[in-house]
Order: sequence, then structure tokens, then C-alpha cells
Amino acid sequence: MTWGDTLRLAFRNLGQARVRTALTVGGVSIGIASLSGMVSLGVGLQDQLVDRFTKSGMFDSITVTTMSLGRAGGPAGRMAGRGRATATPAPSPTPAPSATPTPSTTPTPAPAKLDDEAIKTLSALPSVKAVYPMLRVGLQVKLGGYAEFTTASGVPMGAKEEGAFQSMAHGSFFASDTEDACMVSMDYAKRLADDPGTLVGKTLTLSYAVPAKAASAPASEPVAPDLPALGAAGLQLRRVETPCTIVGIVERETGPALGGASMVTGLMLPLPKARAIYGVQITNAQSLLRDQTEARTYPSLSVKVDSTRHTQDVEDKIKALGYSAFSLNDLLQGAKRAFILLDVVLGLIGSIALAVSLLMVMNTMIMSILERTREIGVMKAIGGSDAAIRKIFLIEASAIGFIGGVVGVALGWVLGRVINFGVNIYIERQGGTTGNLFSTPFWLVAGAIGFSILVSLAAGIFPARRAARLDPINALRHD
Amino acid sequence: MAPALDIAHLTKHYRMGHTVVRALYGVSLTVPPGEFVGLLGTSGSGKSTLLNLIAGLDSPTEGTLRVFDRDLAGMSRQELSEHRSKSVGIIFQSFNLISTMTASENVALSMMFAGVPRAQREQRAAALLESVGLGGRGQHRPKELSGGEQQRVAIARALANEPELLLADEPTGNLDSKTSGEIMTLLRRLNEERRKTVIMVTHDPGLAAKYAHRTVTMLDGTIVSEVIA
Repeated sequence: MTWGDTLRLAFRNLGQARVRTALTVGGVSIGIASLSGMVSLGVGLQDQLVDRFTKSGMFDSITVTTMSLGRAGGPAGRMAGRGRATATPAPSPTPAPSATPTPSTTPTPAPAKLDDEAIKTLSALPSVKAVYPMLRVGLQVKLGGYAEFTTASGVPMGAKEEGAFQSMAHGSFFASDTEDACMVSMDYAKRLADDPGTLVGKTLTLSYAVPAKAASAPASEPVAPDLPALGAAGLQLRRVETPCTIVGIVERETGPALGGASMVTGLMLPLPKARAIYGVQITNAQSLLRDQTEARTYPSLSVKVDSTRHTQDVEDKIKALGYSAFSLNDLLQGAKRAFILLDVVLGLIGSIALAVSLLMVMNTMIMSILERTREIGVMKAIGGSDAAIRKIFLIEASAIGFIGGVVGVALGWVLGRVINFGVNIYIERQGGTTGNLFSTPFWLVAGAIGFSILVSLAAGIFPARRAARLDPINALRHD
Repeated sequence: MAPALDIAHLTKHYRMGHTVVRALYGVSLTVPPGEFVGLLGTSGSGKSTLLNLIAGLDSPTEGTLRVFDRDLAGMSRQELSEHRSKSVGIIFQSFNLISTMTASENVALSMMFAGVPRAQREQRAAALLESVGLGGRGQHRPKELSGGEQQRVAIARALANEPELLLADEPTGNLDSKTSGEIMTLLRRLNEERRKTVIMVTHDPGLAAKYAHRTVTMLDGTIVSEVIA
């Protein structure tokens, strides 16, 4: 008996008992819908999280700091004051074992400096998309009668597609990195004006101190008379003022600034501008003592990788160059593992419905065999072997599983869309970001249908064996 | 040529609860190819049990049972199903057609179990139905056919895999006398024209005397008389 014959016979038999077949298929499809719906929820949540994390720019970026003497490297944490010239081994809550190589195990080159030369070196590494310094500069901000000191960060043009800059509350991202423009955070904007929206287009005045002799200082105001005479060595300071027009307001600060990856501060300047100020600015006595002719080093660099898959690779290469490097990639891997567990748990919950449908298939098959006992007897009498009879019923059970699987996946998908729609309306009302809570990748569709066939096949084994072992004489006497 | 049927000292015991029922008790019978044998006896005489054993639907307790020199006593379940498929054709009193299948499908089903390709099955089923006088009725379901017609379908099915031995268990038991005559004539024709060996169980001595070459009468599990027509 060929497979084609068996299949035809099985489907014909299912068609003979339409109501029973439909009910059983319904049961199986509910089981499969709950299973695939649950797993789809798990996958959807994971995708959302990973997607958001990836877009936040935290997982394709590596924070590079110099090795400090006591503890080599260590996550730089948030750059506090740029007066601390080297990376601070901040007491870090961040679990990143890979980011703490000890000098004894690493073939240590001389601790490399994080200067413009280093940026060039790191940019040349494979898979590196961009390298820019993480800069924080202290400035005085003036707008009308308002004057306050604040910390400004340098934002590269490449950050436009990342994290908080993807959707601006008002205005837009920098048009170019040479303009005298800046962005402010929503929190900061609220301090400046009652209606933050009106700030776009207004011009702030930024002022900072430079050594009187600094040639590269953007010239504007003469020596500020109100500055105290700092220099015992007769060093003179003067205040420099520079205007900047607010072009955009950033909605919110990105979560915890892990590894200093966040570029959102109250005030944000184009990176070249922040760099120029950083290059000449004097903020405390320490920086006064520095040789003004020597190029400044940066507290830390941010390295952007072309894909999160290469993060670890690049991180290792950077470490080999003698820097301390840190990324959140390990955290992401951990999160993914946690999601596998979530998928399994959700899958188990979904499997309860599937277990019920398994029993249903078994019951249907037993009923069907009981009802067709005489028919089985006839088939045996005219030459149907045990194997042929068994095959017919196994295929019949699998066919129920297949149809149930297809219907179930479709049902699960529709249900997911409906729930997603409802939840998104709620999220929107709460002011959150909407997204797909359910994700149904191809492997899930194929897997769910395959699983449904397997489960139904398993449910059919016992009834099919019973049918195959029927005594033909008794079966023929059966009504 | 080997006999179509060679039975010696055949015994069949059934266990029913704690008692053992002796359905057959030392039956010996030889049927040459091409013979039409009528197996007579009251109910409980063991004639149906004997037919079931020859059909390979059941296994004997003791004795030898050869169909065209193939011993059924030592056959496995698989071998017995092949025996039923190819060596014998069975015709039942109650026709035993599958009610959800058309006449043609019923005939083709036994060829399906024998592994005959589909196109060939359909062609052959149509030819067989034609030969039993049901040309053009292949697409009818059993309930759309009369008793006589249903039995003709069953006969066509029994012939599907070209067995040399036809086993009929009261083939006219559910039919009126006119139709019975037609079915008996058909069986006789198959016996004469196609040289099929026929063993027919009946409780009607007249029918056996009229159509069979030899009438074997059974009582209480043994053969009590043989009459050659």
C-alpha cells in the first residue's frame, strides 16, 4: 500500500465523519494556538527588548578607557568631571567580567593614551563604524536673564539614528556638525521656559574660561574682569562666549547611562564644537598645570561597531591594544538566555491546552476505530495487513494534527494581533511606545505545525495499534 | 498439480471462559483444482470455522492445512494477510461492502492492499464489475444497489487479485430465491469458465446439490458424509 493511497484513504475517512473531524481539529487548533501564541509572545517581547536595546546604541558601542594603575580598566561609568584626566575605576555595579582584564594576564603594552591618534588607530580596526570621544564640558549658559552652570556633551552626527535622538519632542537633530547649534533635554528645557516648544530657534550664550594666551580659542570677548586671578604663575584667564541656537529638544534622557554610552545631558553640542571647547577650556587648577602645547587626551572613547555580533570581537582587539574596553554585549547575551527560559515557561503553559487536545485526538481515534470495527474486519479479510491498517490510522491522526496545526497557528496569529492591538491602544493612552508584542517567525509556524503533527501521531499510536491487532473474525461479527 | 485444498486431521479448539469448545475435530478433506464443493451443515457444525481457517482468518490448533501446497499452519500474521490478499477470495453472506465507498472503490480496495497501481486498479475494477453484470454501476454506493447487485460487487472484489480459490460463506443467505439463482449461476460460471475452485458453505442441501460437484456434510466438528453429484 503506497503513501499516496494511504493518505487518500485517511482523508476520505476524515471526510466521512465531518462533525467529529471538525471538533477534533478545533480542539487541536486551540491547543496549538495557545502554544504558538505563548511562544510568539515570548519571542515578540524578546525582539522588542533587543530591538530597543540595539537602537539605544548601547550594544553596538564599546566604551574605551585607559588602563588605570590600581585596577586595570574597569567600566568608566559616567564621566563625571573631565578634570580627572584618566579613566576612573568607578565602583561599578555593572557586571562585565570581560571588561576587567588584569595586567598580569594581558600582554601589556604601555598604557595607551586616548588622544586623536588613538581615535585613528581604533577607527582602522575591522567592523568599526565610528569612533568618537565621550566629552563632557562644563559651561555657563545664559538666556535672557537666566544664567546657570551646566554640563554639555558632544554628540556626533552618527548618533542621529540612535536612542533618544530618533524621535525629538520639538525641532530636529543638528543639520551639520559645524553650525552653532545645540539641543537641550526636555527636563532642561522646562527650566528655561514654561513652554519648551518655544525654545526652538532661541539662541543661548555659552561661556567658558580659557588661558589668556591660548591661541586656538574662538575669539570673542576680552578678558573677563570678574574672574579671580588663578595663576600663581601669573597665568591669566579670560572668558570666551559663543552663541548657539537651539535646534531641537530631546524627549528624555536615556535610562541609566551605563558605561557612559548615553550622550543625552541637559545641553548637547555638535561633537566638533564640544571638542574645540574641550581643547582649550580651563576648569580647575589641575588643568592649568597641563602643558598647553600637548594634545589633550580624552577620558573615554566610544567605539561604534557595525553589528552587535562583532561587539565582542572588536572589544577583544581593543583590549589587545592596551586599552580598557567595556560593552553591554554580555548583558544582552544574558537577557537572551533569560528569554529562552521565558519561552520555555510560556511554552509549557501553552502545552497544557495541547495535552488536552492530545487526549482528544486519542479519544476521537478510539471512537472512530470502534465505529469502524467491521470495516477494519472487511479490510483485513480482503488482504489488509496489520501494517497497512496501522498506517491508515496513524496517517489519519497525523492529518488531524496537520490541519489542527495550520488552523491553530492562524488562530494564534489572529489572536496575537487582536491582543496586540488592544494593548497598544492602552500603551498609547499611557504615553508609551507601541510595538509588536507578538512575533511569529517562520520557524515558529513550521515548528508549531510539525509539533502538532507529531503530538497527534503520538496520540494515534495506541488506537492504531489496537486497530491493527483486531481479530478479523470478531471484527466481522461486529455491528 | 497440487490439490487446491489439502486438509488432514484438522482440529480447532476455542477457549471460551473456562471451557474449551471443539469447533473442528479431526477433519480431513482434499479438493482438486477446479472443483465446486458445497459444505453443508447446521449452525454450530463447524462449517464456518473450517471456511475461516481456509481463508486464513484464523489459525488451526492441530493438523495440516494446505492451499495449493502452501501450509497455512505455520504462517505469520503478515503471511496470512498476503494469503487472504492473493490466494483466496472471500464472499460473505452479508456482502460486507464498505458502505462509504462506491462499488468501484470497494473492488479497487483489495487491489490497493495488494499494491496494484491506481490507474490499473480503476481499469480492472470497471472490467470486473462488467464481468459480473454491473457494467456502468461502478459509481453507485452499496445502499443504492439491491442485495443481488451488492453480492455481485462482493464477487467482483473477491476476484480482484485473481485468486484460484473462492470461498463463499452462505452467499445467498440474504437473498430471495430468484436472486439466489442468479448468484449461484454466476459462481458456477466462474467455476466453469475461469476454472476457479469454489468452496461454498450453505445450509440449503438443495442449493448444494444443484450447483456443487460434491457436497460435504458436517456435524459437530467432523465430516459425516460426502456426496458426489
